[in-house]
Amino acid sequence: MDWFRRNTGLLPALIAALMKKPDTVSYPFTPLELPQGFRGAIIIDPEKCTGCALCVRDCPANALELFRESRENFRLIHFPGRCAYCGQCQDACRNDAISNSNQIVGATTDPDSLTLVLKDTQE
Amino acid sequence: MFEVLFYLLIFPGFLFLYLCSWLFEFLDRKLLARFQRRIGPPWYQPLADLIKLFSKEDLMPQGANEVVAIALPIVSLCAVLTAGIYVPVAGFSPESFEGDLIIVLFLLSIPTLAYYLAGVTSVGIYSLLGGARSLLQFFSYEVPLLIALSGPAVLAGSWSIQEIIARQSETGAFLLFQPLGFLLAMIGLIGKLKRDPLDIPKAKSEVVAGSLTEFTGVKLGFWHLVMNIQAVVGIFLIINLYIGWTSAGNPLLNISIFLIQWLAMILLLSTASAVFARLRIDQLAGLGWKILVPLSLLQLTVVILMGV
Amino acid sequence: MKEKITIPIGPQHPLLKEPISLRIDASGEEVLGGTLRLGYVHRGIEKLAESRTYTQNIPLIERICGICSHVHTTTFCYAVEALLGIEIPPRAQYIRALLCELERIHSHLLWLGVLAKHVGLETVFMHSWHDRELVLDIMEELSGGRVSHGINQIGGVRFDVDAEHHPMMADKMQKLHERITQFMQIFEREPSIKARTHGVAPLSADLIRQYGLAGPVARASGVDVDMRRDDPLPPYDRLDISVITHPDGDAWSRTYVRIYEIYESLLLCEKILQAIPEGNISVRARRKVPAGEVVVRSEAPRGEVVYYLRSNGTEYPARLKIRTPTLPALAIMPMQLAQIHVADIPVVLAGVDLCIACADR
Repeated sequence: MDWFRRNTGLLPALIAALMKKPDTVSYPFTPLELPQGFRGAIIIDPEKCTGCALCVRDCPANALELFRESRENFRLIHFPGRCAYCGQCQDACRNDAISNSNQIVGATTDPDSLTLVLKDTQE
Repeated sequence: MFEVLFYLLIFPGFLFLYLCSWLFEFLDRKLLARFQRRIGPPWYQPLADLIKLFSKEDLMPQGANEVVAIALPIVSLCAVLTAGIYVPVAGFSPESFEGDLIIVLFLLSIPTLAYYLAGVTSVGIYSLLGGARSLLQFFSYEVPLLIALSGPAVLAGSWSIQEIIARQSETGAFLLFQPLGFLLAMIGLIGKLKRDPLDIPKAKSEVVAGSLTEFTGVKLGFWHLVMNIQAVVGIFLIINLYIGWTSAGNPLLNISIFLIQWLAMILLLSTASAVFARLRIDQLAGLGWKILVPLSLLQLTVVILMGV
Repeated sequence: MKEKITIPIGPQHPLLKEPISLRIDASGEEVLGGTLRLGYVHRGIEKLAESRTYTQNIPLIERICGICSHVHTTTFCYAVEALLGIEIPPRAQYIRALLCELERIHSHLLWLGVLAKHVGLETVFMHSWHDRELVLDIMEELSGGRVSHGINQIGGVRFDVDAEHHPMMADKMQKLHERITQFMQIFEREPSIKARTHGVAPLSADLIRQYGLAGPVARASGVDVDMRRDDPLPPYDRLDISVITHPDGDAWSRTYVRIYEIYESLLLCEKILQAIPEGNISVRARRKVPAGEVVVRSEAPRGEVVYYLRSNGTEYPARLKIRTPTLPALAIMPMQLAQIHVADIPVVLAGVDLCIACADR
């Protein structure tokens, strides 16, 4: 058996491949399972965010912007279109407010969804 | 008159051969996909591809010969369909006469020459290279193929395919008497169909698509039809010559046995496609003339001595 | 048919993963030579790096190349840490090395599939990329991304190899071990790939030394050079690296070297997992880097990566220069193209293992 396997190259691998199920999934028709740590959409816990702007400073793609009117009034905006989903904002935040969820951010035809207001103290 | 039209258009003419080629392409792609651990295309994929090709815009580069480019796929399709009428399916063919094997072999080599001409008359470096390679490949595999396919004729003592099938039904399949001939015929068929180990003229990584690089639209659809129907007719021919067997009164048995033989041949061809890497053209020429031709002559000599 | 024709392996071609422009002069089926033009993927990374802080530069450097992204960020982080004068904890060094070796495995498996596809054997392409999925799954569990991991930060790494990861990793590495042993056996015996690659485009060791190549292409011509052993970054000086060379310089020896390197990297991963010490995974790093310049080298899957970094005391780098391994290999390629057949062009291009995104930056 071993001699057969060693001297016929690919053929045993092909026969074994016929016996198993295929490895590809037909993606839109079967759901995709992502692991827990997958870096997807940005989510924020508004209670913890104090507007210190450390995340804005560390973002490599300028996808976060902070508009500050006074010490208590500020607005944090996120641009999903520019974001590189690298997770640097999650590392930089000192209050554990901003983080990556594991949802995929899909393409969209709605331009308003490309500007997300993460926290607005006026509301 | 009505009978002739039936034979030409329905069975075993255009519609039947088209359905066989659809099934062949689907099985071939699905089997290859399963070997590679993928899912593979659904059953309607070949028809969908044909409809898509027929609905595309038909362009030719400037300087190419339009008339020749339109005529070549049509002439090849006619040749292959005509060859399909004379090759018996499950023991039935509308007309058979002494020498129809030679007519079929002649008609089946028209698409290859048309492929070469298509490459040479389209303007473009990839087409030129593909066409030149296809002619070189034609010279390397055609001689062993013709000699291998003449072996059963010599053994049966007749050049009519129906006669060869009748002789096999008496004395047992010719595959048992000349297995080497069967192997050579398979290698020749792989070369004629330009399938994987010998798809040198249309190697995707060297010449983008060979002679057919500049063809689009309806013309390319016709070329696909030609390639698939040529495959089907070639496989039918080899089945009839080497493992043909019909029982006189039972058409259902003939059909089922023919179907099983056909599926086994498709399995063999797809496995050969998946296992080997592509040869280089000089390796093919060396293989063809140094190994295949002497072996085929040897086989022919053995067959002649057996018949005596 | 002895007239000269020019075959364009132009920016768009089924052979190329990334655009280059190669014009090959051939006469019949014999290739006479070729000219090469690059620059289709040039993004100006070195200039962009000067207007971003060091922390913002890490994702930028990661996106130079998809296949060797971790090696680039590792080298960059070691360069900045050398300028800052800090030493990262040993656990972080081992995690960085683990990902470097995993990346080498997945890069060589990708290359194996690409070579098989160019030679016409699509089955090996699909099978080897399926095994590559095992490695990508491990990397996704560890870091959250399959291709761009984002695991490096200045001062250490961001994610840890927890105890819950160990059983999954051990299981996948066991499967990978079996599959790679099978691949090695297939390649030793498979006659058609050997027939296509034997004796094709040999490179002499002198030519390689003259052009400054390193990596699997150099090791396949007998030049015994490996940055992990000759100029090691921290955890490699405590690990035992065995370097694989092959005396002939043709395409078959490049195949041989890369396949055996996959096996060696797998053994190294297992050694790293056993030897990894406890501790924390990062230290704090200042934002302003003191003035100075530093050169760091490391072994990418394709050869030697050199980073030159000069800082001027602010948060932004003054000059970053990256020297990637594919560029000298591309310089040597027109010489390899003389006296081969047209059908050997894919084998030559695959043997060089092009990564044009690295070469163009």
